[in-house]
Amino acid sequence: MAAPPQLPLADDLFLAAHDTIRGKSLLSPATLGLGLASALLGELVLWRRMDLHDSMLTIVDDRATTDAATTAVLEQLLKEPHHRQVREWISFLATGVATDLTVRRLARSGLVVRQEKRGLLGTKITYVPVDSSAAGWPATRVRTVIARGEYLDIPDLVLAGLMLATGLDQHVLVTLDPRERAHLFDQLRRRLPAMLQELVGHAEAAVGDAVMARRA
Amino acid sequence: MSTSAPPRSSQLSTALARDRLGVPSVVFFVMSAAAPLTVVAGVVPTGLAVTSLTALSIGFLAVALVLAIFSVGYVAMARHIANAGAFYAYISRGIGRPVGVGAAWMALLAYNSFQLAAIGGFGAIASPLFKDWFGVNIAWWVFSLVTWALTAVLGIRDVAVNGKVLATLLVAEITLVVVFSVADILTPNFQPSTAPIDPSSLIGAGAGALLVMAVTGFVGFEQSVVFSEESRDPRRTVPRATYVALALIALLYAFASWAMISAAGPNVVDRAGKEGPELFFNVASDRIGSIAIHLGHALFLTSLIAAMISFHNIIARYTFSLGREGVLPRIFGRTVPGTGAPKNGSLAQSALGLIVIVLYAINGWDPLVQLFFYGGSEGAIGVMLLITLTSIAVIGYFARNPQGENAWHRVGAPALGTVLLLAVCYLAFTNIATLFGVDPSSKVTWIVPTTYAVVMVAGIIWALLLRAGRPRVYEGIGYGARSAAASTTARGGFTAAMNPGYDREEQRW
Repeated sequence: MAAPPQLPLADDLFLAAHDTIRGKSLLSPATLGLGLASALLGELVLWRRMDLHDSMLTIVDDRATTDAATTAVLEQLLKEPHHRQVREWISFLATGVATDLTVRRLARSGLVVRQEKRGLLGTKITYVPVDSSAAGWPATRVRTVIARGEYLDIPDLVLAGLMLATGLDQHVLVTLDPRERAHLFDQLRRRLPAMLQELVGHAEAAVGDAVMARRA
Repeated sequence: MSTSAPPRSSQLSTALARDRLGVPSVVFFVMSAAAPLTVVAGVVPTGLAVTSLTALSIGFLAVALVLAIFSVGYVAMARHIANAGAFYAYISRGIGRPVGVGAAWMALLAYNSFQLAAIGGFGAIASPLFKDWFGVNIAWWVFSLVTWALTAVLGIRDVAVNGKVLATLLVAEITLVVVFSVADILTPNFQPSTAPIDPSSLIGAGAGALLVMAVTGFVGFEQSVVFSEESRDPRRTVPRATYVALALIALLYAFASWAMISAAGPNVVDRAGKEGPELFFNVASDRIGSIAIHLGHALFLTSLIAAMISFHNIIARYTFSLGREGVLPRIFGRTVPGTGAPKNGSLAQSALGLIVIVLYAINGWDPLVQLFFYGGSEGAIGVMLLITLTSIAVIGYFARNPQGENAWHRVGAPALGTVLLLAVCYLAFTNIATLFGVDPSSKVTWIVPTTYAVVMVAGIIWALLLRAGRPRVYEGIGYGARSAAASTTARGGFTAAMNPGYDREEQRW
């Protein structure tokens, strides 16, 4: 059984997608949802519970993981055996399910805190990273490894891919110079496993389709 | 999608269905590009004055019928191709990639013509209104620049605001048009005129001009298929929404133009020449208080702004999808991550708008006739050509890939639609002089078709260059995002990175 990374992929993406100083999201809610949905599916692939071939998901191991969020997604997948198209699941999880599962998990680890803002139009609830250096770590980690010319591990490669797919790279990877960008793209081409490449590609297509339908 | 019906209700299906769009939402999106008041108060009177043709009501109905027949094959084919909102995708798959790329360029020219027309129209209408309301004489281009800036900012910042604002304006405009039209009928001495609904005008002199003017009112209906992925039941939602939108638009415009032309009396063309867009308000003013008239003027201005914003959005997204496929530089396939707006597509269109305003202002060209009406006509001709090409493409596509669609969808309706559309195009090109209100020997009669021919040829050459230099991109033209993600289709930041040779391309752009 493959061990997950220190912080799960969706948690890393959530933190990377939030401005470290003000805690505001750098992505629109819809785009963040699509990114987190893809990240959770990516975690299931990394847990070796699920395979992805030609847009179809296959459950290869139905045992629960030690993580509540991925177990919840896995259970849902098992409950709906007639739905196996990856885009369906990205769309479904992006309706708020993925964001919900991710913030709960981060809250349990004490990395985000719930904030209520009372305005004229009602109370707005947001989840804000607690510690700005811990929050900035996933993005910093990716940038540092690339800058040193080293290789990202697989989960961080998926993270970088999802950053590109959601457009988040325009914020967090903007400091990379052309040589570093080339190094990152080279790694994505050569070292990212095919299934995860496909998953990130679907994430990007989903974001693009949302833009076209004016729902991004 | 799912392989068979789920045994009990599926949470996934329910959640997706709840989140997805039904027929009313899609109809709303489509009609918000229609800007009813711009057509009824802007295009109709200006068209009357420029062309001297009065049979507009029947023109709207005829065009709606032709477009409905066209839509049968169009929505059927939309089910099988990606990037369904763009005519060029159909033309690429049904006729060929080079013509498809040419069609993409044509579409950009046509939609930009509409957008720029709205900018000019706004300035042309706002300037005299302000003089009337406040006694201040401000040049048209000042107003145009202000709304240009507003459109540019909205295009980049907050997509959500656009949708709700447009929906509210749409409802207000439709209400106003109906109320004013009823007021027209209630004016004393109202004589219902048969001129606007005279079918013989469809085969008489100037028929082509009528039809092109009518097409202006329907532009944007083709966007209904963009919502296929997001709609509840793509097989039914999208076709229904398309026909509903066509019917509503046709009935509204036919009724409003008939009421206005009838109420204007026997000298409607002269009145249109003298009163211009005020004609719409003047004929109803007998029954409508001045408050309603002022409201009408205000909504007219907001209608033009709405049209500006809608077309800007359409162009930005079109450019975005072309960038995703690599048909345009990939930088156009990037979004503004915080708002989901197509960043560089929006910026490029804004830049073009600024250039045109400055050009017209410096040269002293007339914004009402030479930007608003001519721009709208140029755009309508382009859209007509694109619809005709798409109709042919539908036949070509289904000839090679029957895809289980029945004969009416595959062959019957497309063939009938193509014949009708070719007739409309023929009429349009033989009547260009009438449409632009110029002498038949004027330059305009060949300049307009030439612009589209030039753009088509340029697109074909570009496609052939792509085939030689970037064959993977060429292969992906028209296949959009539905092909397997690991394929060679370049889409945006990630898949662009997956193609070797990206760095060279990056530097080249």
